[in-house]
Amino acid sequence: MSTAQSTTNQVPSSLARSLSGLWSGLKELAELIWSSPTAVIGLTIVLAWVFVAIFAPVISAHTPLEQDYKNVNKGPSPTHILGTDQLGRDVWARVAFGARTILSLGPISVFVAFLVGLALGLPAGYYRGWVDEVVMRVLDSLMAFPTILLYMIIISALGASPINVVIAIAIGGAPGIARLVRALTMDIRTREYVAAAKLRGDNDLIIMLREILPNCRGPLIVDFLLRIGYAAFYIGTLGFLGLGLPPPTPDWGGMVQEGHSRMTANIWPVLSATLAIVTLVIGLNLFADGVREESMRYQ
Amino acid sequence: MARYIVRRLMTMLLTMVIVSMLVFAIVEIAPGNVARNILGAYATPEQEASMSMQLGLTRPVAIRYISWLCGSDWQASPEINLPLTETVSKQGLVEKSQQWWAIKPNGDLAQWEMKDGQMYAFIRQPDGTTLEVLDDNVWKVDASGQEYFWGVDTGNRAAKWIRGQGGVEYQLDYSGWVQKNDAPAEYIPLNKGLLRGEAGMSLRYNTPVADVIQRRILNSVILASLAMLFSIPIAVALGLLAGLNEGKLVDRLISMGGLITAGSPDFATGILLIMVFALWLKLLPGAAVFTSENAVLKDPHLLILPVLTASLVEIGYILRITRSSVVEVMNSAYVRTAILKGLSYQQVVMRHVLRNAMMAPITVIMLHINWFIGGLVVVESVFGYPGLGNFILNAALYKDVYSIEAGAMVLIVLAVGTQLVADVIYSLINPRIRYS
Repeated sequence: MSTAQSTTNQVPSSLARSLSGLWSGLKELAELIWSSPTAVIGLTIVLAWVFVAIFAPVISAHTPLEQDYKNVNKGPSPTHILGTDQLGRDVWARVAFGARTILSLGPISVFVAFLVGLALGLPAGYYRGWVDEVVMRVLDSLMAFPTILLYMIIISALGASPINVVIAIAIGGAPGIARLVRALTMDIRTREYVAAAKLRGDNDLIIMLREILPNCRGPLIVDFLLRIGYAAFYIGTLGFLGLGLPPPTPDWGGMVQEGHSRMTANIWPVLSATLAIVTLVIGLNLFADGVREESMRYQ
Repeated sequence: MARYIVRRLMTMLLTMVIVSMLVFAIVEIAPGNVARNILGAYATPEQEASMSMQLGLTRPVAIRYISWLCGSDWQASPEINLPLTETVSKQGLVEKSQQWWAIKPNGDLAQWEMKDGQMYAFIRQPDGTTLEVLDDNVWKVDASGQEYFWGVDTGNRAAKWIRGQGGVEYQLDYSGWVQKNDAPAEYIPLNKGLLRGEAGMSLRYNTPVADVIQRRILNSVILASLAMLFSIPIAVALGLLAGLNEGKLVDRLISMGGLITAGSPDFATGILLIMVFALWLKLLPGAAVFTSENAVLKDPHLLILPVLTASLVEIGYILRITRSSVVEVMNSAYVRTAILKGLSYQQVVMRHVLRNAMMAPITVIMLHINWFIGGLVVVESVFGYPGLGNFILNAALYKDVYSIEAGAMVLIVLAVGTQLVADVIYSLINPRIRYS
């Protein structure tokens, strides 16, 4: 009876505690963002694009694939507010749906990169020794590649598809993340609470995930935000190089690629997509920079 | 210092070995087989199998890796039991044709072909043509009594023919598929390997990769050095100006400008510059006007936009670093002391701020080299600039594996090498650095 009671008491309280922890964490982040004008401006730009992405079907009168054969390569008009491209597709619809592409692939690929980076960096920093040596050698070699070159050869080998873009960006980003995680882990593993956890008999995996990882979160969150900006940058660039998403998919980089040889005839698809990617990437950068500067001030 | 450089060289060597394995692994072992990429979707399984064998793709991965890096002639030579050599003859102005031969004991250069179960040798004549002679007493007998012969075939491969068991060989010609009987049972494609300056044949152009790549490297180096020469002074000046006026309007404007140019993807910057200068102002030529590989130096005004694009990104980046570094130094105790002891503002800036504030940008420019080189690849593709980056991109788009591998390796060697040089220069400039 008494044991049953104590467990029923424990479950809600621990749930409540972690919820309130999450809540205070979010509140802290919100305050941090709010205190930096740079971050607020960046976040506003990004949220505007998120809004466009979510409500793409509502705010554009056309679908990104439908072709208006009578109006090919036209400038802005009441029916097509940003004009049409070489196949008569509505540019605004393609920009709006393209926001979905880049805003979903970016965070997903950074998330995958973080999973890989954590899986390599935590043990390397925690165990040191030959594990560390081997992992770091390989990662250093990956970092010797100019990033775009690495993406180019990976996508050329695997083929152009959303999944392969995610894989390429994850492979390209993981070494940097792993190095950061390793450095943080090497610092944190000497702390008393890690020694306490060892004494308690926790196994290494539990220590890494429950003691070390949560205490790395500050720098990791900032890094995550920065990397979403890079990911958007590279997804756009890969699209432009013809290594992004295969053609009919609305993709900003791809729009610039398709249109830039016809710029003298019709500037609208290229101009719209270019400005879209520039504003989004700068918004993401401002946001991440603002958060980073503000969090450094705290320390 | 010397020890430091040697140690750096050793780590660089190890890194490059791993890099070469990674490049090879990604390009050749990745799903989607090389023969398929060359042949396209319409080849039959027999044609694909024959092609894989002719390209040596059926050999073990480790051996293929070593052949790619160090060549395969020394592997084939003991099988043939004759030394091998390569001749290069010029066809037309640029196109070279490379031919592998076995050197017979009497000094003749020979290639072989089996016809109707008999071996014919092609003996190279002084004028470059070949003389076909019957050469049917070359057969050897193996343990199971089968007659076989290892020689060099007419397609630059060491080949093993088995008497009476000619296979069928499919070759992709300009006109389509050519089917040949009496084909060898085993091939070792002959090449000298990347380290000996031969990076294989471009599958797309059917010319040696090494020949195409040299010109491209030079073009890229021109673009990169011009961009660096142009951007560093401007960026440092702007960064200094902003940093000394922290918080004022000048600072705000410069910082904002830097953020925008540094943050924008290179291709977007390039496209916007083309729109402004080529389409609206009609001052400069836009994209894809380099008519030949050598046009770079003939029409310097074609270089303006690519250099400007590559510079803008770099300027934004370097100026931001310089600015924050200047701000930091301006707030330091030694600058305060210098002001308090009565030095003029100019003297403080020249003597104390500038030198100390330059350390951070130099470090970061060094760390930034890979990023810069990546940006160049994109800039080259925006303008159709005939550089190394554009070469690799086209190779990647057409799955021209040997070109991708060679281009990637050269680019990484350039990147890592520049990094090393920068490291050494940095350790000379900054006396505080320790070599540990």
